[in-house]
Amino acid sequence: MQRAVGSLPLGPALRARLAAAGFQTAQELLDTGPCGLSREIGISKEEALETLQVVRQECSGDAARTAGGAGTTRKCTALELLEEEQAQGFIITFCSALDNILGGGVQLTKITEVCGAPGVGKTQLCMQLAVDVQIPECFGGVCGEAVFIDTEGSFMVDRVADIAAACVQHCQLIAEAHQEEDHQKALETFSLESILSHIYYFRCRDYIELLAQVYLLPDFLSEHSKVRLVVIDGIAFPFRHDFEDLSLRTRLLNGLAQQLIIIANDHKSAVVLTNQMTTRIGQSQSTLVPALGESWGHAATVRLIFHWDKSQRLATLYKSPSQKESTIPYTITPHGFRDVQPPAVTQNTESTEMNPRKRPRREEEK
Amino acid sequence: MDWEQLELNPRVVAALRKADIKSIKEVLNLSGADLQRLMKLSSADAECLLKTVSHWLRRNCMLTALQLYQDKDHFASQHQKLSLGCSVLDNLLKGGIPLVGITELAGESSAGKTQISLQLCLCVQYPYKYGGLESGAVYVCTEDAFPSKRLQQLIDQQHKLRADVPPEVIQKIRFGNNIFVEHAADLDTFHNCITKRISLLLKRGMVRLVVIDSIAALFRCEFGASDSVLKAQYLQMFGAQLHSLSTRFSTPVVCINQVWHQKCFSLYGDHFISCCVGVSVDNKVTPALGITWANHLLMRLMVSRVSQRDQLSGAVFHHTGNVRTLRVAFAPHLPPSFCCYTVELEGVKGIK
Repeated sequence: MQRAVGSLPLGPALRARLAAAGFQTAQELLDTGPCGLSREIGISKEEALETLQVVRQECSGDAARTAGGAGTTRKCTALELLEEEQAQGFIITFCSALDNILGGGVQLTKITEVCGAPGVGKTQLCMQLAVDVQIPECFGGVCGEAVFIDTEGSFMVDRVADIAAACVQHCQLIAEAHQEEDHQKALETFSLESILSHIYYFRCRDYIELLAQVYLLPDFLSEHSKVRLVVIDGIAFPFRHDFEDLSLRTRLLNGLAQQLIIIANDHKSAVVLTNQMTTRIGQSQSTLVPALGESWGHAATVRLIFHWDKSQRLATLYKSPSQKESTIPYTITPHGFRDVQPPAVTQNTESTEMNPRKRPRREEEK
Repeated sequence: MDWEQLELNPRVVAALRKADIKSIKEVLNLSGADLQRLMKLSSADAECLLKTVSHWLRRNCMLTALQLYQDKDHFASQHQKLSLGCSVLDNLLKGGIPLVGITELAGESSAGKTQISLQLCLCVQYPYKYGGLESGAVYVCTEDAFPSKRLQQLIDQQHKLRADVPPEVIQKIRFGNNIFVEHAADLDTFHNCITKRISLLLKRGMVRLVVIDSIAALFRCEFGASDSVLKAQYLQMFGAQLHSLSTRFSTPVVCINQVWHQKCFSLYGDHFISCCVGVSVDNKVTPALGITWANHLLMRLMVSRVSQRDQLSGAVFHHTGNVRTLRVAFAPHLPPSFCCYTVELEGVKGIK
């Protein structure tokens, strides 16, 4: 960004004009913008735009060269891919049963869809994940940041603060038990304020704003390279009214799915979407199915369906490339998304093992 | 849309005008490949156009959760709530009704839904420091006539209900003047009411509460079993419109809903039970309009009468036969919980 104007690949006449106008670094050119540039050095707007495009390409080319050229195609073997995937992090959900059926947690570079009736806990899981993605590596987390795109207005920051406070407390208990230096150091930067400051919140009020936001995500994720989670809560709401032309909706959803897959892969992030349920009326009975139609079902790699059984909340892994279909119970406590406490609670305090997935069973107050 | 405002290559602007694309919505409805084909642009230009348009639409939209948490003035919808006028009920709801989103109040008849809504219409008129929004309310009746006599009773007794507010403040508020009553007994009138009349009142800042009493009544007669698709479309449309008004004007929308008894569900099978949130086995009722409507709600509250043999503790017996329960069925910020209340002359009061 601090490249001298003289070193950019521009025509000599243009360079002379830029020097005469006083431009010295590439950053100054970018800051001025095309309108300002065309005014100041007396070139047409089209020329100014093309000049700025060249400058941007040069600067991003520099950055890519120093960063190792992300985005270029590379050939690799399946073994390399397997090793890469096994080294891939998971975002834990604090419900060990759910983490187990998912194979460790919400997987990075994949799209996970959570479907369920209203009130079953989809937004709670999203808020929990936005906090859990930030857990430092020494506690078993991926130490990332989160992007939260809210289309329904159900993001309540006080609830997120409660969940974050509970997570910090949990990590403090682990650190106290183990007394390791890197735990203490990590805890210095893992506080309620730091967690909240690394959740980037976008409110989209209709599908146009949502589409625009997703077009801007790749650039945002390049700037904020620590983001490891993108949540869209919920994807169905803006697309379920206002569409007389359903083929347009299918096209837009397919485009959205493709962009999200690219984002998940390129930036090594997990993408989590929440979907509504709708009734499909069959011959003799009707069933609840995820909304947005059959073709949307192909967008997500992993699909979870949350539902009720009398008054117990259950999560079913409905679609996964590597795990088998199963159902587990979960619960929502004031601390967030958790396991159901088994009736005979073995008060197993911090055991001397390094795996933070074996969480201590604390009495959760209701 | 004036394309000159965006930082676009004049070539692209000319192509937009030639293809007769007038709005950002039209641009974003097309994919990169469609834009290339329609406007004969290169792929880099098409991508640049989409990014520029998106950037213009979403400039200054990023917030961090910390800003939402700390800046209580700019993000009132996260921190402020509309009080119900009773501290016990407000504690159950952690402050009251959220400012943005649709809150549903469902229950059997004469459980107290209208009483709570009338009370809200008065509470909204108080100053901010007493839990109100310093504005009026619009009350849409879809079946019964508006209970104006009861409203007058409540107005006369406000000083008794709101002992926390100084009497000179109460006297200054002209309660009756700020409640706008609309009647809409069928779907078209209701649609008209939302899109024209309510939105006008909201734009002028005259109201900051919308009460619909009741949403289920609109759908009771007009749809048979075979019209479920049309009914779902209407529900989606009304839900989206109410949601959009609520978001634009930071105004709570309270919808009263009726309940169905579980015996009626034999036709639809068990899945309806699984989709109705928080319905315990012994509870015989579930809110009307099904999952299509429930998907639009931010918060669902259920009210019911407590029968004599279900009364919970000794304290409740003082209020003979008049005890109701207010239960949180679901909300993103509240645990499932309930409290008891009674309907007195001065209004709805919670029991500790």
